[in-house]
Amino acid sequence: MAFRKVPPRNAAWRTGTLALGVLLSACAGDGKGLDANGRPPSESGAGLPPTTGVSFKAVQDNVFTPICSTCHSGAAAPLGLRLDAGNAFASLVNVSSVQVGSLRRVQPGDPNGSYLVQKIEGRAAVGARMPLGGPPLSQANIDLVRGWIAAGAPSAAAADGATALAFSITSSMPGAGEMALAGTDRVTLVFNAGVDASLAQGGTIELAQVDGPAIALASIEVPAATPGVLTLKSAGALPPGDYLLTVRGSGATALADTAARRLDGDGDGRAGGDFTIGFSVADAAQSAAIVAAAPGGRQ
Amino acid sequence: MISRTRMFGWLVTVAALFAIAGGEARAEPYLAVQSGFKCVQCHVNPTGGGLRNGFGNVFAQTQLAARRVGAEDAELWTGSIGRFLAVGGNLRANAAYSKVPDVGTSDEFGVEEARIFLDVAIIPGRLSVYVDERVAPGNADNREANVRLWLREGSVYVKGGKMYLPFGWRLEDDNAYVRQLSGINMQTPDNGLEIGLESGPWSAQLAVSNGTAGGPELDDGKMFSARVEHVLDRWRVGAAATFNNADAGDRKGAALFAGTRWGRFSLLGEVDWFDDDGIGANGRTRMATLAEANFLWRQGHNLKATFEWYEPDDDVDEDEQTRTSLVYEWSPMQFLQARFGVRRFIGIPQNDLQNRTEAFLQLHGYF
Repeated sequence: MAFRKVPPRNAAWRTGTLALGVLLSACAGDGKGLDANGRPPSESGAGLPPTTGVSFKAVQDNVFTPICSTCHSGAAAPLGLRLDAGNAFASLVNVSSVQVGSLRRVQPGDPNGSYLVQKIEGRAAVGARMPLGGPPLSQANIDLVRGWIAAGAPSAAAADGATALAFSITSSMPGAGEMALAGTDRVTLVFNAGVDASLAQGGTIELAQVDGPAIALASIEVPAATPGVLTLKSAGALPPGDYLLTVRGSGATALADTAARRLDGDGDGRAGGDFTIGFSVADAAQSAAIVAAAPGGRQ
Repeated sequence: MISRTRMFGWLVTVAALFAIAGGEARAEPYLAVQSGFKCVQCHVNPTGGGLRNGFGNVFAQTQLAARRVGAEDAELWTGSIGRFLAVGGNLRANAAYSKVPDVGTSDEFGVEEARIFLDVAIIPGRLSVYVDERVAPGNADNREANVRLWLREGSVYVKGGKMYLPFGWRLEDDNAYVRQLSGINMQTPDNGLEIGLESGPWSAQLAVSNGTAGGPELDDGKMFSARVEHVLDRWRVGAAATFNNADAGDRKGAALFAGTRWGRFSLLGEVDWFDDDGIGANGRTRMATLAEANFLWRQGHNLKATFEWYEPDDDVDEDEQTRTSLVYEWSPMQFLQARFGVRRFIGIPQNDLQNRTEAFLQLHGYF
């Protein structure tokens, strides 16, 4: 077999190019043991079925995490829009756009009227198409976002359960049956959609000691940036004991979301019904024991 | 051929404006490194970007362009309209191509952005009001709006309003890893107050702002940004730090940056480190670096090569990414620049987007 002799200058050029290519590639990770977004499988849910179909998780896994959260994450996310896992839903659904205040970033059921869709399709009134400076999203990914919004923009929690389209509470802190440490002065509720803050008041939300008096609430807050999170605070630390929290989804004082959907408090998938949980607040001795027993606590 | 008289006239004009300006310049940082100027030599804004001052405009016409078009005795544009008002603008139009493995290609024309700058010197040399408005694409959108007060014979300033924060190199490329990671770039102005020092070889800024990157303030926490740079003729070195106290999770970061010139070459480097409590369950530590080499082939022709490295999570191995660029910048005449570049991204093999290739042709008009 005959080989064509490579001129020394060309050989040096090819060798240099090859060496440079190897060098540049060597600086990047080989991705071994990671998922497509560069995260450990333990974090992304190894063994779970792949995210297909129209769901918030599919949007998060295919669009927000791999593409958007490169910039839109952390405390200094552009325009306060955080799209990393765990923060994207609260930053988007029923939250007003900063650039065009008359539009919501995601308006459940209305893809065309959602500012997020306008931005990724490049037809927003202000600014450039997103992702900024990168290739446009594929039509498949745009359709994924559109489909999720058209389905009512359910949260991941809602999509997994029976409350796909109902306005409901997805979690609370303290949770049902949990014991909070001494000194606790607040309860936080997380909803699957933005709360109508004008309805979040005493009478709609009640906190009382079991077999005791109602607790005077110092404030009920629904931050504009995270309208799916409601925090109620007492005037001081809650005394040790058992508590009952009630959020009304029925009657004249029912809580509703910003789309005027009453709360599905009893979890039957339909609007209406009160949400009730019990929890307790530890005394000083119980708190010390809880702290000591916690991982990393005093032994 | 340029006459000696005309050349002498330009040099005198540049020298005069240099003496008058006594202040600012910052366009592309490599230009500052190439020329040996302080970063605050060419722009009205003490922290750079936006409107060029008289010196910056004359420099652009006589030193950046391959040749100056127009009558030999034509008056140079300085941006000043009378004694109290200065205007300027930028427009970048792109033809962009990208190829994502296993996904496909895309190509399109588009206006990246057009911006108009306005500086009203209410008390010339002392008090100014500055506005930077993005007018395309889409509707107008304010980028900067601040009032600036110079004190102590122009060595100290106070700036309040909406502004770009000081941190590292102020690159034109907002998508550079160091600018993406820091979250401080030309897309993320913030509302706050800045105090700056311009004295001898020193340039320093300290800013306190909402820390919401232009979004609404959500809590009582504030963001503190500090930057200091020591500038000498052939080299410069600087450091920056930032701390954002936010309910969403504290964020702290630091950067070291440096630049030097050697003949027709100018080199820039930056290393950024950020720790963000608000990402993931346990927070995330990230790093990014930039290495940039510029070769000024001849006046009006610059070849730029950059290599960037990004570590998205210090706790996860083998997830690093790189971005390598080669950009040719040609300024055929004053106020016009053509840029052609290719960028190669390399990341984990299972992510197509992290392994894309991009190419672009950009026309950049400015005044």
